Amino acid sequence: MRSEDPELWRWRRAAPVRGRDRLFLAALIGAGLLSTVRFADWWFAPAHVAVAPLYVLLSLAIWYGVSRMVLGWIGLLAIRRPKHRPAPEGLRVAIFTTSSPGEPLAMFEKTLAACARIRYPHTTYLLDDTEDPRFREVAERHGAEWLELVGLPGAKAGKINAALECTDEDFILVLDPDHIPFPGFLDRVLGHFDDPEVGFVQVCQAYHNQARSFTARGAAEQTYAFYGPTQMGLFGHGGTVAIGANCTFRREALDSIGGHGIGLAEDLVTSIRLHAAGWRSVYVPEVVSRGLVPEDIGSFYRQQLKWARGVFEVLFSELPRAFGRLSWRQRLTYLTIGTYYLFGLTTLIYLAIPYLYLWTGVQPASMAFVEFIIVGGPVAALGAAIYLYSQRWLCHPAMERGLHWRGLALKVGSWPVYLAGTVLAVLRAEIAYVPTAKEARRGRFFQLGWPHLALAALYLVTVGWTAYRRLYLAPEGMLFLTSEAVWGMISFASLAVLLVGGAIHAAWEARSLPSEAPWDGVDPDLIGEQSSDPARRTAQRESSTP
Amino acid sequence: MKRIHRILLAAIAVIASIAIVLGLVSLGTASQGPISTVLQHVTSGVSGLESRIVHAFRGPGRRAELTWLEPFREHPDSLRRPDRLMLGAYDDGIPNTLEGLIALERALDVTFPFIQTYTAWGDERRQRFPNRIVEAIHDLGSIPVVTWEPWLATFESRLHPHLPLRDDRDRNGLASVARGDYDFYIREWAGDAAQFGEPLLLRFAHEMNDPYRYPWGPQHNEPEDFVAAWRHVVEMFRSEGATNVVWVWSPHTAYGGYEAYWPGDDYVDWVGTGALNYGTVAYWSEWWSFHEIFGQHYDALAGFGKPIMLAEFGSLAVGGDRAAWYDEALRGFRDRYPAVHAILFFHVEHDDTVTRQALDWSLLDEPQVLETLKAALASEGMDTKEEAR
Repeated sequence: MRSEDPELWRWRRAAPVRGRDRLFLAALIGAGLLSTVRFADWWFAPAHVAVAPLYVLLSLAIWYGVSRMVLGWIGLLAIRRPKHRPAPEGLRVAIFTTSSPGEPLAMFEKTLAACARIRYPHTTYLLDDTEDPRFREVAERHGAEWLELVGLPGAKAGKINAALECTDEDFILVLDPDHIPFPGFLDRVLGHFDDPEVGFVQVCQAYHNQARSFTARGAAEQTYAFYGPTQMGLFGHGGTVAIGANCTFRREALDSIGGHGIGLAEDLVTSIRLHAAGWRSVYVPEVVSRGLVPEDIGSFYRQQLKWARGVFEVLFSELPRAFGRLSWRQRLTYLTIGTYYLFGLTTLIYLAIPYLYLWTGVQPASMAFVEFIIVGGPVAALGAAIYLYSQRWLCHPAMERGLHWRGLALKVGSWPVYLAGTVLAVLRAEIAYVPTAKEARRGRFFQLGWPHLALAALYLVTVGWTAYRRLYLAPEGMLFLTSEAVWGMISFASLAVLLVGGAIHAAWEARSLPSEAPWDGVDPDLIGEQSSDPARRTAQRESSTP
Repeated sequence: MKRIHRILLAAIAVIASIAIVLGLVSLGTASQGPISTVLQHVTSGVSGLESRIVHAFRGPGRRAELTWLEPFREHPDSLRRPDRLMLGAYDDGIPNTLEGLIALERALDVTFPFIQTYTAWGDERRQRFPNRIVEAIHDLGSIPVVTWEPWLATFESRLHPHLPLRDDRDRNGLASVARGDYDFYIREWAGDAAQFGEPLLLRFAHEMNDPYRYPWGPQHNEPEDFVAAWRHVVEMFRSEGATNVVWVWSPHTAYGGYEAYWPGDDYVDWVGTGALNYGTVAYWSEWWSFHEIFGQHYDALAGFGKPIMLAEFGSLAVGGDRAAWYDEALRGFRDRYPAVHAILFFHVEHDDTVTRQALDWSLLDEPQVLETLKAALASEGMDTKEEAR
């Protein structure tokens, strides 16, 4: 679907959670847990240890992945969709959106025009440090207040905090400038602030440019489940996480923690501090805005590096401080999020194992491949089944459903970036805060793809050398007995290269990307109005059911 | 839908589901499910395919030196009445690698038609039918000899509640085998052996008349229970279709009285025994020549009317002249012992099964012994290369 497709601009809401869905999901998860227990019992048999240090590494990599999956399942058990609450009249609401030097003016035209169409009475503020008079002109043309906030530390969050000082609305929607809000946005979220303990309301983050490149599609695929079933599960557990964009805060809540958090992962910092201060959070699984996802692999890597570094920073410095004041489920949530980018390290371990064996003959574990398939297969199969089943709670299933192999390929392909983030965090090395690019940037193929090209080259050399060695050099007495292990490892290496091939493709694609801006085709008149008024329609529907 | 249609449909559904279940079961072997079996076929297939490709590039390799063995590999019956003397060995790299065995072959300038491996009874994967190694041996052109040791106490009580507790299992254990208590294991093994399909010599419960060494000895069992157990095992293999298995009955000559353990003509194909000179490593041992160890029992063993296998042949270096031992053993061998049709070297570097200290039966570090042996084998026409020519 292209950005101009009216289907994208309809208001959407994740499916309700019915009793039987929950029952079936619980059964699947139960089966998954049982097969995981069996897998663990098998995996940790002492007879499987071949080279102890390597076995430990491999076990950590495998069980890091499996335990994250299991935590995800446990999250899903609490899946919940909040009941809509109509927004009361008379709330004082501000929308903050920020502009930085280099960001395209045309994007602000769309965003500010859309803000002006948001139905609930509000004031839009443009927090501007471009020192470009045209931004002021655009803001004023669309009825937004222009605040010049130049030279503040703390990037986006610094500007937000400065703007909090000079405004006095009770509720603040922080909207990323690449996100085009629907007219019903505020009507869908403000009602939840009826509960005085609610500190922030997060909505789905959806995109309109994912069809424009392999990278955009893969990057979007990585987020679909998170903004559907995952966040609904976190909400059920009392720990919806605030994501920088599209989050509406209660001013009192932000004041209680001394303003918006600052840092590369400022959203996560804010989220933790608010939860630690006792504020509750609500997740509204609805598409009430659409924004941009990185279209070129270079921007994607820069965004991922920023997040990896930032999230680890939170893990090291923010989480320990707040730990005592969080509920145990929130602790688990933030620990899980905080360790997400260890994926780079575990991927490196996975990648290295076949080469280690093929070049040195060292194998970390002595396991029968057949047994591994039989015992590990059900865990993988149930994991996939649960992932696919929970897709019924995606915010826009018709578009978002699928195996998300592009997302997986990009995730595996990002391992050098994640690893860099891990290392930088451990070394406490700083990286600069740069807003994620809003337009596709061309990149050099080799510059973006070299780790993967190096892997592919290593793979080809290894396969060639292995074939040559087996054909001409391997002693006869070993040939038959090592055949299973050698070709098993080659298959394993092939799978990895195939996945990384996605990232190579993305680097190739980045040489030439569409030059027209993604927001050009968006017609503000279409937005959210297509299927009549979402706010009113659902308000009616919900009030008609007892 | 009419009633008759419903009944028909239900009947078809029932029959179809029965067929599916039976089909899946028939895919597996006795104890392995269909998926394991299919995966095992895949891995065997990959190994076999690779072997064919490699041999297409490199030439037939070791197998070419054993073309004379093909009739024996094709017809297990000819293996029951061999007209040649077969050399062989067990090397302690087995079952992980056959490289040590091939190194011994090179040193002796022979190619072994028989290669021996040992497996114990038990629940673990390595105690199942040793599929990989027998396939590898077959792939190299030889015939596997499997020594199969009924260590009954290794089965876990948790998994087999019908068995006595571990400590009580060895007492009258063979009677228990004969009664069918271990059929769950024997049947699986027999099925896998039948599936392997190529000729295979099976030396079951060897040295059954030695009261010290193994739990299946006379300290725990009556001879008639051994005979009953043996027959039960053989019959079970036959009923599983494992006609490719050739049975090696293997008493210990030092303890006599082994006639009482004879299971009968129809149940035995070969008579095996060990001929190991421990030299002076232990108080119970002195430097005995091969003829002292084996010669005095030859007539009795030959009296069973079956080909004889020296299943473990070798001398340590402690207490005498090792080269001379081998030389003396092999000179004039065929004339002295015409019923012996197999000599299997016991080529083990670390043998800690008998003494506390590991014993070294390996020959590779002793060039003089190797030279003597090589010469003796050649002059006796035992190096199969001679026969191939």
